[in-house]
Amino acid sequence: MINAEGLTKRYGAKTAVDDISFTVKPGMVTGFLGPNGAGKSTTMRMIVGLDRPSAGTVTVNGKRYAEHHAPLREVGALLDAKAIHTGRTAFNHLLAMGATHGIGRARVDEVIGLTGLESVAGKRVGGFSLGMGQRLGIAAALLGDPATLILDEPVNGLDPEGVRWVRQLARHLASEGRTIFLSSHLMSEMAQTADHLIVLGRGKIIADAPMSEILSSSTRNTVRLRSPRAAELASLLQGAEVGITSTEPGLLTVSGLSAPVIGDTAARAGIALHELTPVAASLEEAYMDLTQDSVEYHAGAAPAVPLTPAPVAPQEVVR
Amino acid sequence: MSAATTYARPAGLSSLSAIGMLRSEWIKLRSLRSTIWSYAAVVVVSLGISLLISAAAVGFGGVEGIPIAAATYGIYFGQLVVAVLGVLVISGEYSTGMIRSTLTAIPKRIPALVAKAVVLFVTTFVVGLISVFGAVGVSLLVLSGQPDVALSGEDLGNLVLAAVYLALTSLFALGLGTILRNGAGGIAVALGVILLLPTIFGLIAGITQAEWASNALPYLFSSAGTGMYTPSGEEAFSQLHNTVIVLVWTAVSLVGGALLLKSRDA
Repeated sequence: MINAEGLTKRYGAKTAVDDISFTVKPGMVTGFLGPNGAGKSTTMRMIVGLDRPSAGTVTVNGKRYAEHHAPLREVGALLDAKAIHTGRTAFNHLLAMGATHGIGRARVDEVIGLTGLESVAGKRVGGFSLGMGQRLGIAAALLGDPATLILDEPVNGLDPEGVRWVRQLARHLASEGRTIFLSSHLMSEMAQTADHLIVLGRGKIIADAPMSEILSSSTRNTVRLRSPRAAELASLLQGAEVGITSTEPGLLTVSGLSAPVIGDTAARAGIALHELTPVAASLEEAYMDLTQDSVEYHAGAAPAVPLTPAPVAPQEVVR
Repeated sequence: MSAATTYARPAGLSSLSAIGMLRSEWIKLRSLRSTIWSYAAVVVVSLGISLLISAAAVGFGGVEGIPIAAATYGIYFGQLVVAVLGVLVISGEYSTGMIRSTLTAIPKRIPALVAKAVVLFVTTFVVGLISVFGAVGVSLLVLSGQPDVALSGEDLGNLVLAAVYLALTSLFALGLGTILRNGAGGIAVALGVILLLPTIFGLIAGITQAEWASNALPYLFSSAGTGMYTPSGEEAFSQLHNTVIVLVWTAVSLVGGALLLKSRDA
């Protein structure tokens, strides 16, 4: 259980985290999303006391992190894959980290096995790939078998098998009743891993809700339909709240109307439908909706094709 | 989410402890090659210098006091090496990001620096003892059969003090490294204080005859350091007085580092 109250971090005139309050509950995976510079990493660093909050407090299981008698057994944190001395072997790094808490060789060997680092444990970390460094960071986070895990971009640099492993690990640990708080920019991955989402934009919380709620609140839930008389049907479906796009002849993507309404309209007009499929918005689309106003760093060049097509007026697209 | 599903950690597991922190810092110190090389250099150069001086002394005849002189010459070199090592012990953690792992494991921070300091002090002291007594041994071996080479109890005490000075030098540098968080900067300042300050003050005193410069000279870190393990003449400070001066330098550096470590974001 992580509990933040009025948490604020200022760097000079810039406010990185702006008076946020949230709770990360045990027994589920809570995803932490937000554009670059939104304050995710700063928030995670404040949880484990690396950064001092300018205002507000954050506690883990009721106490500030530093006040726990065995911090590594309370919280495991992967904050930065490069938080490891490059001149030391992976084994010695874990041994030194564990030693502070009386965690011995046996557990070190266990987490090395768990993260699949057996073959490189005796090598110096300086020669590690991004993915191996990431696995070592996860191994260090698991050392104390903590009840709370904070993972900042854990799948960054991992191969597909590694990505899958992190997902299964997070789900498994959550099922044991642990608190899992993880950030990622991989939306498809987050969609499969997290039960609950906290979305940060410009240092403020812009959403804190179950995954299902965030997905269904998106304006981009659409219905895909195919019909030999698509253009005709499109003109029948037009309305103030309705968006219709077409990417190929005979195929329409309709937003603002439910599949039954569209099906009934087509039936009344005697128009044959070859397909009628409700398409739920992806997490990526829901996320884009939420954060479009709070992106800190936009790409410089304007794309030739608009990245956010909705809502599109019907007359533009019906052919 | 009901409380029943909350993960319950088994009771009675070991927690963060002073012994654990010391063990951790010892693992960290011994598992870097730079440590091994630095300490090896201190011992090897110390013995080598002793061999050279002693062998040369045999040729010139006058060997009284040579074993002690030969042993303490190694300290001049050794202090530079352990100063660099002292800075690197902490600056290496900042440059690699390791400091974030260290401070996550020991979030109260000051104990982490204390553990580092204790391990560095003890290790450097032991290496210092090996260096000076090894150097004396080499010298006595070379000078065997010569008269006037016997060591007094006071000589042995001074050799121990030389090792203490070496260990305090590493701590002084550790404090600087903690304050500056940067290897190049920390090493520059540490070597500057040890090597350059006495020269600069000496020059100023020599050229301008400024009294303040010659008065300040004995208060400098390395001047007082030499005075720690060298029997004092008529006008100089006592060895105890010199030891106190070195301790003050070291304490200021370490306490400054500790205060900054505690207050800054990592």
